Amino acid sequence: MKEVDIAVIGAGPAGLSAALACGKSGATTLLIDFMDAPGGQLIKQTHKFFGSERQFAGTRGIQIPSIFINQLSQMPNVQLVLGVNASGYYADSGVLTLEDGGKFIKVKAKRVIIATGAGEKALAFENNDLPGVYGAGAVQTLMNAYGVKPGNRVLMVGSGNIGLIVSYQLIQAHVQVVSLVEAAGRIGGYLVHAAKLRRAGVPILTSHTIVRAIGEETVRGAVVAQVDQSWQAVPGSQREVACDVICLAVGLTPLVDMMWQAGCEMKYVPALGGHVPVRDENMRASNPAVYVAGDAGGVEEASSAMISGEIAGISAAVSLGFRAQDADARLALLKSDLAAIRSAPAGEKIRAGIMSAMACGGER
Amino acid sequence: MTDDDIIICRCEDITLRQIRELIAQGYHTIDEIKRVSRAGMGPCQGRTCRQLIARELAGALGVPIEQVEMPTFRPPSRPVLLSTIARGEADE
Amino acid sequence: MVRLKEHPILDFPPGREVAFTFNGKEIRGVEGEPIAAALHAAGVRVLRHSPVLGRARGFFCAIGTCSSCLMTVDGVPNVRVCTEPLTQGMVIETQKGHGHLPID
Repeated sequence: MKEVDIAVIGAGPAGLSAALACGKSGATTLLIDFMDAPGGQLIKQTHKFFGSERQFAGTRGIQIPSIFINQLSQMPNVQLVLGVNASGYYADSGVLTLEDGGKFIKVKAKRVIIATGAGEKALAFENNDLPGVYGAGAVQTLMNAYGVKPGNRVLMVGSGNIGLIVSYQLIQAHVQVVSLVEAAGRIGGYLVHAAKLRRAGVPILTSHTIVRAIGEETVRGAVVAQVDQSWQAVPGSQREVACDVICLAVGLTPLVDMMWQAGCEMKYVPALGGHVPVRDENMRASNPAVYVAGDAGGVEEASSAMISGEIAGISAAVSLGFRAQDADARLALLKSDLAAIRSAPAGEKIRAGIMSAMACGGER
Repeated sequence: MTDDDIIICRCEDITLRQIRELIAQGYHTIDEIKRVSRAGMGPCQGRTCRQLIARELAGALGVPIEQVEMPTFRPPSRPVLLSTIARGEADE
Repeated sequence: MVRLKEHPILDFPPGREVAFTFNGKEIRGVEGEPIAAALHAAGVRVLRHSPVLGRARGFFCAIGTCSSCLMTVDGVPNVRVCTEPLTQGMVIETQKGHGHLPID
């Protein structure tokens, strides 16, 4: 059985950043991802990041993974394994089970940093499983990472930032966005993104939802309807929209299976997308061998994921006695960066959610 | 197809009608529904349906979602071939 | 045009083209891209039929999380084609139901 100081599960923005911090501390570190290429969802983030230089301001998301990988590859104490599934974590022994192309591998790690990201939420409507009903992240991946158009006429469901940005990116790829429906009475994401869509002529229908996808084997349309304040379709408001893709942007939820397996105390926090581990400000969960980083601890975005990843990495290393010279100063700086990112008015819900996730449960 | 035929668990093809019937029969946790119907036991391990079932339970029982008990999570969290496990741990 | 050639931000450098079969028909795709991307570019939307109701299913999450895109690849069922890289000569088939394991 392989033994390491720290195992990091997930090589997206949070995991890459966590592994780099672990590497700098001198701890032996294993970074694991089931994809063959590192970067997680950065691979489709074509926009330039903002914030400070520490969060790669001015750099496009798609360029960030290679910056991390170049640094990690210089570190003899860091091993990156790609195309490997982390299939289980056994809290009593601290053993992780991995599966690598039919090989079963066990790793004993003194600390585990879980950076498994988030998954798309589903929506219940008729024919929601018809080919052509795609998650917004999936559409973005198909288009931005692999250069394949998802279709010709897209109905977007959800007006959060993901729905708005993916709609705009579809237009950039010469795909028509026939309409965007939002069940709430107002647009969820930033108005600057919504304005771009309006200028491009995309009708944004608030208080509207999708009722049904139309088609036999693939989507050829959708029925949308106005909803009242109790989210019920208003009689007589149903109408048909012709489209070949229905794109669901109804939010993300943290992928937290491993933290349940690890026996971490979990809490349902709607502002963070669902169940998240209760953690302290150093990202340590109630199981002291487990740290959480990035969207797995609450859905935000890639910049905050990189910061929480580095906090988790430094903290996990320090807990084992690996302390880079500037560890304390760096932690303080990272925490202030995170507070700054969340300080915008739009971050109010996140701030409340984080406070809720940090509040100690009864048994701690 | 009516509202009731909406697919909730894609892996096992469980519909909204079936979930509602089970709740009406007294299955009031995600785990109970899972055990009698297999909803959430397929290859995706409930990643698509769990939240939809939780919402349905919350609505039917008149409680907030956080009071809906979550099921137990066990390894493997992603499907692994039995032959992989049967061969045992690989040599380094 | 399904493959993007011009994009205001992105370049899609031509990758190595490989041939594979989908239900016996030869199709070309780019080596290393997910099988689902290659099939989508070739106009294939239905990837499997669900186990109980036989409903058509396609691409959905693209991160290997759901079960929508399970296909039979080189005889092995339940392969998540949204994350499985395409290689030369792959034999890809739509999957009906739970699939059958090859006995060796």
